[in-house]
Amino acid sequence: MNDWLVADALTPQTQGVLAPLYQAASRGELALPICAACATTFELDQGRCDVCGAGDIAWPLVDPVGAVHSVTTVHRREPGLIVATQPYHVIDVELTSGHRLLMTTVTPAAHPPTIGDVAYIEFRSVGGVAVPAFSSSPPNPDPEVVT
Amino acid sequence: MNRRSAESQAAIIGLGLTPMSLQPGGDASALAAHAISLALADAGLTRADVDGLLVNSSQGIRPDRVGVGLARADGFGDLRLLEHVEIKGATAVAMVQRAVLAINAGLATTVVCVFADAPIQPGGSTGSTYAYSGGNDGLRGLERASGLLGSVPTYALMANRYLALSRGTENDLCAVACSARSWAVGNPHATSRTPLTPPEYFAARMISTPLRVLDCARPVNGGAAVIVSSRRPVDAAHPPVFVRGMAQRHPMRRRRAPSESWLGGHADLALNDALKQADRTRQDLSVIQLYDPFSVVTLCLLEDYGLCAPGTAGEVARSGALALGGDMPLNTGGGQLSGFYLQGMTPLAEGIIQLRGAGDQRQVPHAKTALVTGLGGRADHHAVLILDREAA
Repeated sequence: MNDWLVADALTPQTQGVLAPLYQAASRGELALPICAACATTFELDQGRCDVCGAGDIAWPLVDPVGAVHSVTTVHRREPGLIVATQPYHVIDVELTSGHRLLMTTVTPAAHPPTIGDVAYIEFRSVGGVAVPAFSSSPPNPDPEVVT
Repeated sequence: MNRRSAESQAAIIGLGLTPMSLQPGGDASALAAHAISLALADAGLTRADVDGLLVNSSQGIRPDRVGVGLARADGFGDLRLLEHVEIKGATAVAMVQRAVLAINAGLATTVVCVFADAPIQPGGSTGSTYAYSGGNDGLRGLERASGLLGSVPTYALMANRYLALSRGTENDLCAVACSARSWAVGNPHATSRTPLTPPEYFAARMISTPLRVLDCARPVNGGAAVIVSSRRPVDAAHPPVFVRGMAQRHPMRRRRAPSESWLGGHADLALNDALKQADRTRQDLSVIQLYDPFSVVTLCLLEDYGLCAPGTAGEVARSGALALGGDMPLNTGGGQLSGFYLQGMTPLAEGIIQLRGAGDQRQVPHAKTALVTGLGGRADHHAVLILDREAA
């Protein structure tokens, strides 16, 4: 199924430094980098710890909850890259783990969140690749099993 | 900083600006060559007098980026210094710094610093050019898959964060845009020369909240060249402009809690260093030329450089201090918003023009000392010059 926001041309490459993030996202989980030696929160493209100097990275699962650090509503929609027909929101989320992650909403949203709002992380599929996405409400619990 | 006599200190003796075109046409290398010719004529020199060439090209993914091959293609002779300098938007200022250091070290005598770009191509807007740049891998690949195309949404996030922390409003951004336009009216190189009113500003097309099209730099096809030399050619069109102070800061700001993602970063320390070298203070600055790709950047930099108290830049802008006739002349050619976007060459060129007294309608009376800044990445790189009419 196609993504609501971007064309498949923007499908991210899943190899490289962010491979652990994409592998976890494919399972519906959020994994983000920390220093394997001292557990300092890393930026996504950080390769060496700025606190202890260690070069080993760990990618633990983190709580998919945070707060809105900043937000913008993008009105310019580039033909060929953006398929949404209405302005969309890009949100900078600060997770409880301390990481910052940029994402859009999991589905089209009429109104943007406000700085400081609670953010729940879900996932969109872009060209078959799961990427983190913002939701203003917690995920639904497992649907009741009907026998 | 300089130990030489005034007659032999490294100084800016030439400036060349091509027409700033909003239409497709010209490639970056040809524009660079044209700018160099204009700068050499301005300095009263020829290519045979040049022994150093520093080249700066746009970060966009375009096949016509200017490189060190320009030296061969544009007819230079043997050089003692030839480099492609790259610190993103801080590069133009860094090139002048590099040239001064090379001259002071005896590695060169006359150094050309050049930048040119041609982002406006047939059949597509510059916004499209930037939107299609960036690739699909790494962090940018993830961000682009999330709808973060080009640089406007990133700076829009910065703007909303800044306004939230400073309790500012879009009126602050409006004041910056209108102030820049007031200066651009008198700049023949500016792309937008009709006065701008707040109603016109608020009616402008929104790109990414809170940034409207008038909050964004105006890309052009054009080139700029500056000549730094220890020579004083008799045919020079203008007196030399001296580089009395210079510094850089590259804050390793971490985008994680509890740091700010974009704001702060000790740009003030770079200015402190440069002012100390120049034996000047912030109060001595006749004109301020900031790298202003977006209106919000002007507000952030005024505070980051310690040119106003934290959280007050919006109030300063709304007071009219930054506009034509104000008591803090800033981006006096219209900056990148209403003048032209040639990255760091925009503030550098205007600083030179003001200290030459060549600003015509926009000339700041008795301009003597200029601050020129460069800004690279997402406010990750700061480079500063203190230019002066007097030698050190």
